[in-house]
Amino acid sequence: MTPHRADVCLHHVEHVMGMAVSFDIRQPAPISGTLTEVLRWLHHVDATFSTYLDDSEITRFGRGEIAIDDLTAEVQDVLLQCIELTDLTGGAFDVFAVPAPNGTQLDPSGFVKGWSIERAAAMLEDGGAINFCINAGGDIAVRGEPAPGDAWQIGIRHPDHVDQLALVLEVRGTMAIATSATYERGAHIMDPRVGSPTTELASATVVGRDLGIADAYATAAFVLGLDAIEWIDPQPGYDAYLITHDGETCWSTDFPHPSQRVAAAASARR
Amino acid sequence: MAAYDGATIDTKYGPVQVQAQVQNGSLVAVAVMQYPNGDGKSVRINQRALPELQSEALTAQSATVHTVSGATYTSNAYVKSLQSAIDKALAAGAVVA
Repeated sequence: MTPHRADVCLHHVEHVMGMAVSFDIRQPAPISGTLTEVLRWLHHVDATFSTYLDDSEITRFGRGEIAIDDLTAEVQDVLLQCIELTDLTGGAFDVFAVPAPNGTQLDPSGFVKGWSIERAAAMLEDGGAINFCINAGGDIAVRGEPAPGDAWQIGIRHPDHVDQLALVLEVRGTMAIATSATYERGAHIMDPRVGSPTTELASATVVGRDLGIADAYATAAFVLGLDAIEWIDPQPGYDAYLITHDGETCWSTDFPHPSQRVAAAASARR
Repeated sequence: MAAYDGATIDTKYGPVQVQAQVQNGSLVAVAVMQYPNGDGKSVRINQRALPELQSEALTAQSATVHTVSGATYTSNAYVKSLQSAIDKALAAGAVVA
């Protein structure tokens, strides 16, 4: 691919949900006001689902101050999807079994982030955007292509080096990439099945169509360790790439082999 | 081809014994000789060897990329991230990939 002047028509970084969300929107531009609406949505999600805020709906529900029937439809919908993901991951992703910053045992952040970015992507598409990339604190949703005929080049961070990449994926169309690791926040990722931290992997990356699912699956894959491969292989449309502390890598059957990663989108775009 | 039987190991799924099959000095297969009561887990143990063979040593790569995936970074950590550098370049209208 020869370098060319970026066809970026709208670029924005918003600090929301305790992270930086970067928007890289290529031609054609969405209609005026679309991005403003998207940012309003993300701040609404923050106020509703934050486990850092004392008065968010999720904190109040976690403390037992709101009955399940009195939750807004939006929160009920998210919690139902989280329960479904707990089932799909054999309990490796369980928003009701991990300690949250607000002192409760309810933390759906690992799904909410990706879920809200998927909605943001749908809003941009409704506004007429076709080609864009949203990076929400390291979890990514892309649409279309960066320039006619090109693919999005997605770097996966090296777990030991903040300024180096472990691999590069080329993707086009509707695709999500989520990575779970402990190197950034230093915090442990708990295995909800046993209630203790999980340590086998340095990083787990999941590629698939939906960022909410990919986000939850990346957390599950990190918890499952190398067993994540046999778990994710039968999951249609989602693939994993794991890095151990020894610097060994391991990937699921449909994840592109190193010699074929240039064509990564082929397996990922199902 | 030579076969080497391993010791019987008690696992959380029950006793398991594996056999390594070696041809011309290379390991060509690992067979599970003894399954714990034929439940589903034994099959999964057997399949586990396959995907793990798809591995390589991690090497650092440098490339021009549009964006970087990694563990969730806070707004503070973002400042020193590759993504922050990419955003700065985009904001400046730089030539990117």
